[in-house]
Amino acid sequence: MTADTIAARRARPLRRLPFGTRVLFTPVAIAVVLVALYAWVSTLELDSIEQRSLNRAVIVAKTIEHLEMTLAATALVVVIAIPLGVAASRATNRLIAPVILTVGNLGQAVPCIGLLVLCTFLMGVGFQTALVGLVAYAVLPVLRNTMVGVQQVDPALIEAARGMGMTRGQILRRVELKLAVPAILAGLRTALVLTVGVATLGAFVAAGGFGELIINGLKLNRMPVTIVGGVLTACIAFFIDWLGGLAEDLLKPRGM
Amino acid sequence: MSFSEYVISRWDTLSLAAAEHAMVVAVAIAIATVIGVGVGVLTHGVPRAREASIAVSAAILTIPSLALLTLLIPLTGLGWGSTLLGLTAYAFLPIIRNTVTGLRGLDAATVEAGRGMGLSRPRLLLRVQLPLAWPLILTGIRISTQMLIGIAAIAAFVDGPGLGNQIFEGLSRLGSVNSLNATLAGTLGIVIIAILFDVFFYVVRHLTTPRGLRVRP
Repeated sequence: MTADTIAARRARPLRRLPFGTRVLFTPVAIAVVLVALYAWVSTLELDSIEQRSLNRAVIVAKTIEHLEMTLAATALVVVIAIPLGVAASRATNRLIAPVILTVGNLGQAVPCIGLLVLCTFLMGVGFQTALVGLVAYAVLPVLRNTMVGVQQVDPALIEAARGMGMTRGQILRRVELKLAVPAILAGLRTALVLTVGVATLGAFVAAGGFGELIINGLKLNRMPVTIVGGVLTACIAFFIDWLGGLAEDLLKPRGM
Repeated sequence: MSFSEYVISRWDTLSLAAAEHAMVVAVAIAIATVIGVGVGVLTHGVPRAREASIAVSAAILTIPSLALLTLLIPLTGLGWGSTLLGLTAYAFLPIIRNTVTGLRGLDAATVEAGRGMGLSRPRLLLRVQLPLAWPLILTGIRISTQMLIGIAAIAAFVDGPGLGNQIFEGLSRLGSVNSLNATLAGTLGIVIIAILFDVFFYVVRHLTTPRGLRVRP
């Protein structure tokens, strides 16, 4: 998934629907799918292998692992990418911007599974490896959106702020960053959805998460386990995308 | 064995895997282009249909690729079938969106002029609207292609073709001889394929853009 593609979903078609419908549609759909999944699994006669994967303790543990991986990676991305993006947008660093854009576009071509496995050679299997891979993959869209977001602020507004006697720090905090919020949030949302997806691959490097259900089900030839893992991953991705959409609506500065 | 020795000694396997990788992406893109441009052409004038088609293709893209590919196994089995179907589904959003944007962004006066010259609707579409929207449509196809090249690596897990197999081979023999070489070969090979496809699209774009559109700021 490239950043451009997902970012473009900001032009959400559902926006035309009434606010309540738009906000409630996704969670209701997810709930329906989860109930259907539960009902379907409870009609099956699970053998001992399936029971070992499909019980409450395992599902809860995998959910927590998956969310931990996603949230930790996103938090690191915020800490790394936003300051870097702001720094790259400063006039003194103008030369860096095209470099970042080029590296960013090329970096998208590196397959995430390849990146994860290469990280494993450097630091062994486990949670930290997955985290490094996830962060490396998700930093670029946020970095790029932050940079572009800050750069595209109308120079006249900055000039006006300077005329009002603001210092450079004040201009950055109270004008440029505020106006860049929509672009930064869009990048973050993209990164979150990317991370949820790539976190399924974390299971390949023994970092847990829903990917483990998918992989185990496939290896042991127990399709129900794989299907539960797949559906849960998809549901969590939709849910996080929905949360990101809400955050975009709520955090957008008033007047924009 | 050094990396270069590995690549030379496994050249047959690697080049076949690379060819299959490019092949499966190309086929998926071809199918997605035909369907996506078709959907875009049919729905760009109808707000509801247009929004629905973009919403559905955006929803597909939200599904993590490992999940989608494995969920297809009960339907299309392991191997080429699931790979092709999954990849095609992922390719829709950029193509449909750019087709719709391209067709809607046309200068109304130009389309009106075409109509005034007595072109029928199909001819208007083929000779005026699509050629003018083509650069944007092609960009959509290019974005989809870049995306699919990466996703196709994961398809190796559902027994799909391509260089992803090298990566998974490296993973499964972690620490043994050549495991790093296999992973590197798979990853770098995919990056090279992505660059080659990009060059291809650059050339196609240059050759197929209507002359009047080429000189643009």
